[in-house]
Amino acid sequence: MTFRLLQRRASVCAAIIAALVSVGVLAQPAVSLPNRPGSLKFAVIGDNGTGERPQYEVGQQMANARATFAFDLVIMLGDNMYGGQRPADFVRKFEQPYAPLLAAGVKFQASLGNHDRVENVSYQPFNMNGQRYYSYVRNNVRFLALDSTLMDAKQIAWIEATLQDAREEWKICYFHHPLYSNAERHGASVELRLQLEPIFSRRGVDVVFSGHDHVYERLKPQKGIAYFVSGAAGQLRRGNMSPSEQTAAYFDQDQSFMLVEIAAAELSFQAISRTGKIVDSGVIRNETSQ
Amino acid sequence: MNSDQETGGAKERRGLRRRIGATVPRLSRFAVEHLLLLPLGALIAMAWVNTAPESYYRFSFTIAFAVNEIAMAFFFALMTKEVVEATAPGGVLHSWRRAMLPVIAAVAATALPALIYGRVVAALDEPMLVLAWPVAMATDLAIGYFVLRLIFRSHPVIPFFLLLGIGADALGFLALAVLNPTREVDLVTGVAMLAVAGLLAAGLRWWRVVNFWPYLIGPGVVAWLACFWSGLHPALSLVPIVPFMPHAGRDPGFFVDARPNAKDTLSQFENWWRYPVQVTLLFFGLVNAGVPFGELELGTWGLPIAVLLGKPVGVLIGAGLALVAGFHLPHRVGWRELLVTGLTAAMGFCVGLFFCTALLPPGQLRSEVSMGVLLSLAAAPLAIGVAMVLRVGRFSETPEAAG
Repeated sequence: MTFRLLQRRASVCAAIIAALVSVGVLAQPAVSLPNRPGSLKFAVIGDNGTGERPQYEVGQQMANARATFAFDLVIMLGDNMYGGQRPADFVRKFEQPYAPLLAAGVKFQASLGNHDRVENVSYQPFNMNGQRYYSYVRNNVRFLALDSTLMDAKQIAWIEATLQDAREEWKICYFHHPLYSNAERHGASVELRLQLEPIFSRRGVDVVFSGHDHVYERLKPQKGIAYFVSGAAGQLRRGNMSPSEQTAAYFDQDQSFMLVEIAAAELSFQAISRTGKIVDSGVIRNETSQ
Repeated sequence: MNSDQETGGAKERRGLRRRIGATVPRLSRFAVEHLLLLPLGALIAMAWVNTAPESYYRFSFTIAFAVNEIAMAFFFALMTKEVVEATAPGGVLHSWRRAMLPVIAAVAATALPALIYGRVVAALDEPMLVLAWPVAMATDLAIGYFVLRLIFRSHPVIPFFLLLGIGADALGFLALAVLNPTREVDLVTGVAMLAVAGLLAAGLRWWRVVNFWPYLIGPGVVAWLACFWSGLHPALSLVPIVPFMPHAGRDPGFFVDARPNAKDTLSQFENWWRYPVQVTLLFFGLVNAGVPFGELELGTWGLPIAVLLGKPVGVLIGAGLALVAGFHLPHRVGWRELLVTGLTAAMGFCVGLFFCTALLPPGQLRSEVSMGVLLSLAAAPLAIGVAMVLRVGRFSETPEAAG
């Protein structure tokens, strides 16, 4: 009974969003990445699993973006589920908001946040295969999805070994707690930074994505590594940024997600708001791979 | 109000002041020697991590192993010494029948807070924190003893509390060893090597070795390596060695300092290590109590809620079950005294912080649970307030109940 009600609520939400897009209240995102054929294209969402209308609206923007920018991977930066985490919640907070993407065969690769249950590693659509931290390769990119909530010695040794063995052109790590952040609520996880940054620098990590702070922030490269905070795909802490000299760009006025494209030694990115506005964009070149 | 009542009230207040005045100087020495340096370390850590986090973490990561895994072994050795001496004639553990009721109460007083903790952190939307459930079992004997002495002076409820605390901590350590989510424990190797260490210590005792150094350098080192290699926490390595050290014929009392000229091994051990261990506790607070306020979320409240509710109710339930099973409460201990004792047992402090470091790697979870441990110190004023309301201990109207 409850499950049916939730499904109905989700369907109503989706219908409202479609109507808003059709009358122009929610704009279609104007995707302007290079959009090259054969490149790796993926989306980035963090702190998304609220089951509230803004999450559905972001999900709709992602589906709209995919019409022109055919990404087939979404990386999740943790807090994939807030509050209840029963089967009905997985429908309302994950399967319904991203239904068009899931139906199109887009693969979600999750990492865990502090609001997720450890058991969620076995939820098949998160593709974690029962692991708190894991690695996979797409095109010329080695991805490491880490569990920053429980960064024990075993995981740190695994990170070092996995990065050491990685031969891909790009090495991208993503996890929940940001090593750098200028949001006021949480800010940087300095104790994690002291443990992970030396390994990342030593092993040639190029880009790090994190969530936890419910804003978007791009940081100036730190020790040669590009850092993004993208924790507003469902939650939002409006006006929470306190930009510092580390901040390259930020957006804290609405929910947001990211689109990323990697072709050879070039990574292009866009941050897009809930209403479809591009709030940041740029290109990162992988100098070491030249 | 008539003048007789005024005179009676004034007398009562004077009497209360006199009783407090007589107890506090003795307890203040205890506080300086046992309780001051750890909170001082915790306060410094808190201020440091929230103003200069990078330098704090560089410092704490550098010395964490030396403090948590090596130096703390001597703290737990001294705690074990208190327990070993308590088994001697005159000690609270001397007869098993005497110990049974508080031990049964300890089972309920650990199980209930752990269960409540799991439910509360899930309700507060931080289900990952459930990994730290053994922290809800911890009881700090020293601070609890201090608070109960303030309330009760000498009263049968104090040995009851000590037994309860020992039982609760023993169960917590067991949970830590068997169910630790971040350490892979090889119990077979650990137990085998600890058995070798125990045999070495038994040999030293058989040869009537009185000096404590051979116990530390021989079996102590083997036990430390056994714990380190098998995944058990090395800070507990001296716990199985201390019972082999010869001890005094009679228990001098819990937290009663050994005489400077004492000849038995355990007293010599205490006299040598008492002050180095206090310095260790300063560094323990400094290394482990640095909680950045930005990392705290609602789940932080899970632990204080669980222990402040679960410990007193658990003690009452456990004591009730033990009474049904035919055991008897100590003389002058009723439900009101048990309630105050349960609240006092809610303070995990040093043991709770140790459980945090043993269970969780540095990060948000550890910060939240550590802060929860510090917040549960609110049990001290709460226990005193409840004692005042229930008129127990020094707040009682009858001199006998006052202790």
